[in-house]
Amino acid sequence: MTKKLDMKEVKVALERKVAQTYEPVKPAMQFGFVHNNVDCIGCRACEIACKDKNGLAPGPRFRRVMYVEGGTFPDVFAYKVNMSCNHCAEPACLPTCPTGAIWKREKDGIVDIDSTLCIGCRKCEAACPYGAPQWNVQEQIIQKCNLCVDEIDAGRKPYCVMACMMRVLDIGPIDKLWAGQHQTKAVGPNDKIVRQVKNMASPELTKPSIAFVPHSKGKVE
Amino acid sequence: MNKLPFSILNPARRSFLKTSAAGTALAATSGFLELALEQKDAEAFAHEPYLRDDQLTTVVTSCDHNCGSRHMLVAHKKGDVIVRLSTDDGRYQAGGAFGKDTFAEPQLRACLRGRSYRSRLYSPERLLYPMMRVGERGEGKFKRVSWDEALNHIASKMVELKQKYGPTAILDQAYAGSSYGVLHKSDQIEGLLARFLGMFGCRTNSWSVPSYQGTTFSSNMTFGTIHDGNEDDAFASGKLIIMWGWNPAYTFHGGNTFYYMRLAKQRGCKFVVVDPQYTDSAAAYDAWWIPIRPNTDAAMLAGMAHYIFANNLQDQIFINKFCQGMDAGTMPEWAKDQESFKDYILGTNDQTPKTPEWAETICGVSAADIKKLADMYARTKPAALKASWGPGRNAYGEQYNRMAAAVQAMTGNIGILGGCAEGVGKGWHAESVAYPYDENANLWWASIKSDRWAHCVINYPNVKREEIGCWPREDELDGKIPNIKAIFWHGSDWFNQLTNINKEIEAIKKLELVVCSDSTITPSGLWADVLLPIATHFERHDVGLPWYKGHYYIHRPKVIEPMGESKTDLQIYTELAYRLEQLDPALKDFGKRYNPRAERSYFQDPEAVDEAYLVAWWKKVQANQGVSMSWEDFKRHGVYKFTFDKPHVAFREQIEDGVPFETPSGKIEILSTTLAKVKDWTRTQWGYPIPSIPKWIEPFEWMGHALVKDYPFHMVTPHPRWRTHSIFNNIPWLRETYQQEITMNASDARKLGIVTGDIVEAWNARGKVVVPAYVTERCLPGVVVVFEGSWMDLDKQGVDRSGNPDFLTKDEPSPAGAFAYNTILVNVKKSALEHRPGWDSQATARSYIFRRDA
Repeated sequence: MTKKLDMKEVKVALERKVAQTYEPVKPAMQFGFVHNNVDCIGCRACEIACKDKNGLAPGPRFRRVMYVEGGTFPDVFAYKVNMSCNHCAEPACLPTCPTGAIWKREKDGIVDIDSTLCIGCRKCEAACPYGAPQWNVQEQIIQKCNLCVDEIDAGRKPYCVMACMMRVLDIGPIDKLWAGQHQTKAVGPNDKIVRQVKNMASPELTKPSIAFVPHSKGKVE
Repeated sequence: MNKLPFSILNPARRSFLKTSAAGTALAATSGFLELALEQKDAEAFAHEPYLRDDQLTTVVTSCDHNCGSRHMLVAHKKGDVIVRLSTDDGRYQAGGAFGKDTFAEPQLRACLRGRSYRSRLYSPERLLYPMMRVGERGEGKFKRVSWDEALNHIASKMVELKQKYGPTAILDQAYAGSSYGVLHKSDQIEGLLARFLGMFGCRTNSWSVPSYQGTTFSSNMTFGTIHDGNEDDAFASGKLIIMWGWNPAYTFHGGNTFYYMRLAKQRGCKFVVVDPQYTDSAAAYDAWWIPIRPNTDAAMLAGMAHYIFANNLQDQIFINKFCQGMDAGTMPEWAKDQESFKDYILGTNDQTPKTPEWAETICGVSAADIKKLADMYARTKPAALKASWGPGRNAYGEQYNRMAAAVQAMTGNIGILGGCAEGVGKGWHAESVAYPYDENANLWWASIKSDRWAHCVINYPNVKREEIGCWPREDELDGKIPNIKAIFWHGSDWFNQLTNINKEIEAIKKLELVVCSDSTITPSGLWADVLLPIATHFERHDVGLPWYKGHYYIHRPKVIEPMGESKTDLQIYTELAYRLEQLDPALKDFGKRYNPRAERSYFQDPEAVDEAYLVAWWKKVQANQGVSMSWEDFKRHGVYKFTFDKPHVAFREQIEDGVPFETPSGKIEILSTTLAKVKDWTRTQWGYPIPSIPKWIEPFEWMGHALVKDYPFHMVTPHPRWRTHSIFNNIPWLRETYQQEITMNASDARKLGIVTGDIVEAWNARGKVVVPAYVTERCLPGVVVVFEGSWMDLDKQGVDRSGNPDFLTKDEPSPAGAFAYNTILVNVKKSALEHRPGWDSQATARSYIFRRDA
């Protein structure tokens, strides 16, 4: 299905949004996710809550709980890395978009896609080092986590966070999370926060707004 | 079959919502694009434009199935369509606010299955109309019929069968598939169907419970009750928690057990997992993993008991005060000459001391580790040994649970905060009955072990009572073999879920009536003669309650109108009762007696009657549980959370105040009075001898059996996380999170040339299944794991392509009635056969994409 675009609308959008991409938005406050890799039981309630909230068919997974395991029987370990969109400070997806559909919000740094402008070229999907943009085969567009911006605006938290049975997933101002200054159940009293874990692309690429409590085997030197 | 677009999922219900919202609100201020709603139809499954929660009607309800917990679901609906679901966020309870999540009143957050509920509600597998079989039984060919036709057929057939074959002709195979309502309760024990068939006068009961019969038996024999559970918050007070076959990351018992254990971990609690698999629980709680051979748990526990006795680490004061038969000093007068538990452990009579070294040869755990664990458990005070149900679903599974109870007792870890007597683990007692309940709740003319029905049908009348575990009676029907000619399923997919399905297939062909009442088509339903569509709990009025742990009630209003022509089970049995009283004069006023608050119009309009039952139930709650909230307030909030002044710990009164245990002796019966006094085992429901003290008994099949020559792998079949037994198997979202697979150790896989993703077949003399492999270091070599509950899908050669392990299980229960679900030897090889993950091909299991080897 190809979409008939109102070119006037595209023009306005380009002026309004694309202009910002080349000079990344400096949000007043940047929201980011925090996830405890160790205490997470990997139940994927967050994933299903996300699918239900966003009405997704099988296929696109805005949130992905990755199961990591290693060792040799019987000395084994396992942990979970839970990621959706990292709402990066320098989103790689954003400048790739030819229609200006991707934009970053000044208030809280949420990166969102305006679906009405997406033409399904999939360039952002290829650009993102974290696999956040998801291909919706039915709609022929790219979609991704928008941090449940409607819930944020209503003063609440995203569906995935509110779904977490173990309370190991949360959001907060990312600077404060990194500094250990943000109170959250996701981080236990003895837990330390990191910005990167094993098997994850370098944060230097896009400066992702994500914090993890790492597993001892998941730490990056 | 080609991949279908998701919209096909729901042709009837993917209705388009006409919204009356005025204005073309482009919320430019927030930057969030909200399209003009009156210009574009909103869809039930739409990413954009979507309706915000605050534009929708919010209705608090709960999930409904037999998973062991009960969490809140909050429906956000527009008109008669549920647009999305959320869960408890702290707002709904009395005094609630967004984000409120305290230790005493934690949020009741739903799991992945509950969160997927819209997909089940609106699934293409929903039964919307009564159907009757037109092809051969099991062929899956049905035609739509009217309620009149379906109910008249069932009613006349019931009368005919009762006249022709007597009062045992109809087998009640109701189960707990939707047991979590106080009103619309499906259950094996005193559910709606039981009372209906009982009052009709024709019912063979199935008494052994698939999930936990070994554990129930143990708790009843040892403690005299199954209320041996602490409430979930008590787990936050642990110093040491030994999770024996327990994986709370998969099987959620209680609203927040797994979360309270996380709090325990933060407070310094140590965890041990005894399990053939390094489970997600072992990982999340950073546990010491002790891999154990399946079905040898009683031997390892005996080895621990030996170490504790040998080093005099037992709590002798506790033993002397509270136990019967632990040692010579606690043997009752009438059993002075019999073997005590200590005699057995030390080998006084049989000359075999059950040392850790002895145990090592059986269970495969090193004697050093057995000693280390025993030492840790005996010296840490208090310490919780949680003996879960799974290892009890075995040949002689009851011995494992009894042995665990003995070890819990000898260390004095019962009745104290931080200890544990579970077992069954039933904690706080709820008011659970709003439906009509009286002396007719459980009438039967025969009662058999649930997994012996096929054996009984195939071999009738040449069956011995002990083979099917006939429950004794006081009248002339005692020991009479039931002449089963019909099955009723209610909230039950037992044909798919009981053992040795191939034998069931042989048996079901001999029946004259098979009735299935369910919300969706199920694998069992395919073998029915009549399919009755049941309204889900979103389409009827009820109250949800937790089952094994948790202390709260969740109001469950009718969120949407019943879909298609579906009715509630109570409506159906009531209407059937009215029809039966016209066919059989002996059933005078059956309809009114079955459902006293209703008139016959209940079949069309149940709402006032359901409300009346629930109001009466709430009065019981107020009277018996100190609740002052009014029914109207409860309905307004949608949830009532109880708080306790101190954590609920089982047997606290017995230990602190000297209240006697509910056993014949009033003690914790390591030596069971009931068992010790049995003279003729064939005349008991158990059929075969059970030792009066816990003992290790060699199972039918295990890794030490001669059969390993042909079948070198021991298969265990635990509960999956992405299904409740077989419920939710048809949900594409959930199948995306996980695939039905066979888990095996990497060294075993290497020998067979198998890598992750290969399709393999597993087989033994009873059947063959096809399933993809998951190769890991997290599993004991020699063990394979296949989760129960996939929807059977037989090919023409009789091979199950879905990977349902119950084609391989044995239909021979343990003497106490425990299902031998985990007592299976199999062989495994790479296969050219195709695996069929479900009846549709809409969901591709992509879980493997998100697995990484570190």
